[in-house]
Amino acid sequence: MLLHLLNRAPSSSHVPRDVLRAMGAEDRLMLIEDGVYGALNAQVQHLPGLEGRLFALREDLESRGLAGRCDASVTIVDMDGFVALTEEAQRTVSWF
Amino acid sequence: MSERAEAEHGDLLVVLRHAPHGSLWLREALDLALVGAAFGQSVSLLLMGDGVWALLAGQGQGPLGQKGTQSTFDMLEMYDIERLYVDASALASRGLAPDDLLLPVIPVDAARLPAVLAGHRQIFNF
Amino acid sequence: MATTRPARYLIVEGREIALDPEGFLVDLSAWTPAVADALAAEEGRTLTAEHWEVLNVLRDFYARYENAPAMRPLVKAVGQALGPEKGRSLHLMRLFPDSPAKVGARLAGLPKPTNCL
Repeated sequence: MLLHLLNRAPSSSHVPRDVLRAMGAEDRLMLIEDGVYGALNAQVQHLPGLEGRLFALREDLESRGLAGRCDASVTIVDMDGFVALTEEAQRTVSWF
Repeated sequence: MSERAEAEHGDLLVVLRHAPHGSLWLREALDLALVGAAFGQSVSLLLMGDGVWALLAGQGQGPLGQKGTQSTFDMLEMYDIERLYVDASALASRGLAPDDLLLPVIPVDAARLPAVLAGHRQIFNF
Repeated sequence: MATTRPARYLIVEGREIALDPEGFLVDLSAWTPAVADALAAEEGRTLTAEHWEVLNVLRDFYARYENAPAMRPLVKAVGQALGPEKGRSLHLMRLFPDSPAKVGARLAGLPKPTNCL
C-alpha cells in the first residue's frame, strides 16, 4: 500500500487526475496544503472511488476555514494521524 | 507480488510530468535518473501528463540557445536506463502515438499503472 | 556544464589555454590534440595510442549526447567502440588512474561529468 500525498486542488490543477491514475486499489490518498480543497462537499466528486482511503489534514483545513465543509466520506486526520498513515504505508509518493 | 509486478520491478522510478523547455523539472528529473544509474541502481522512467512531450521527435534548442533534453534521452541507453513507461492515455489525449516518439516506450494503460509504481523501491516525482 | 571562470592558463603551441579551477577547459572549442598532450604532461603522463582511442570515444560520446559520461556509460561506450576487451573499468583505470571518467573528460576537452562523484 502506497500513501499518495497531494497538495493541489482539483479546481485548479490536472495533478489530481494523474494521482488517481497512478493509485492502486489499496493505495491511500492524503490531501495536504491546497489539496484539502478536494475534500469539500462540492469538490470531492473529482476524487471518486476512494471510499475509506481518502484523508485530509486537519491543520490545513482549519487554516483555510474549511473545517466544517468537508465531505463525510473524507477522513480528517491531524499531524499525528498523518504520521501514523505514513508509517502504515510501504512508501509515500508526493504529487505537486 | 504478481508476475506482472515482478516484471516491472526496479530500484528507482522517476516520474516525469513536465514538458520540455518550460521549466527545469524535466532536466532535474533526468539528472536524478542518471545519477541513480551511475551508482548502479536500476532506473525506470514513467512519463505522465505533459511529460510525454519530452519524447516528441524533432525538438531543438530554445530561442536563447538553451540545450534541449533530446540528446539526454538518447543517452539513457548508455546508462542502461531502458524501461520508459508512458501513460497511454496521456499520449492519446495529446494526439500522439508511440511512433511519434524519439525512443521505444512501454505504453501503460490505466489498469497497469499502479503496478508500475508498486514495483519500484523508490519513487521520485517531478 | 560550461565553466567560465579561468583559474590559470596553459601555454600550448604559443596559445593561452584557459583552465578552470579543476583543470577543465574554459572554452571547449580551444581543444586540440596538442592541448591533451600538454594537460597529460602536466600530470606526468604520456598519451599512447591506447589513451587516444579512449579520448576519441569520449569526444564522440560528447558530440552525440552533449554530456560527458560517468564511469558506467564510459565503460559501455568504450566496449561498443573498441571491443569487450577494452570495455572494462580495469583497462580504463590503468590508462587514467583514480577517476577515468573525470581525467578522461579533462584530457578530451569535455566538461566535467556532472553525474559522476
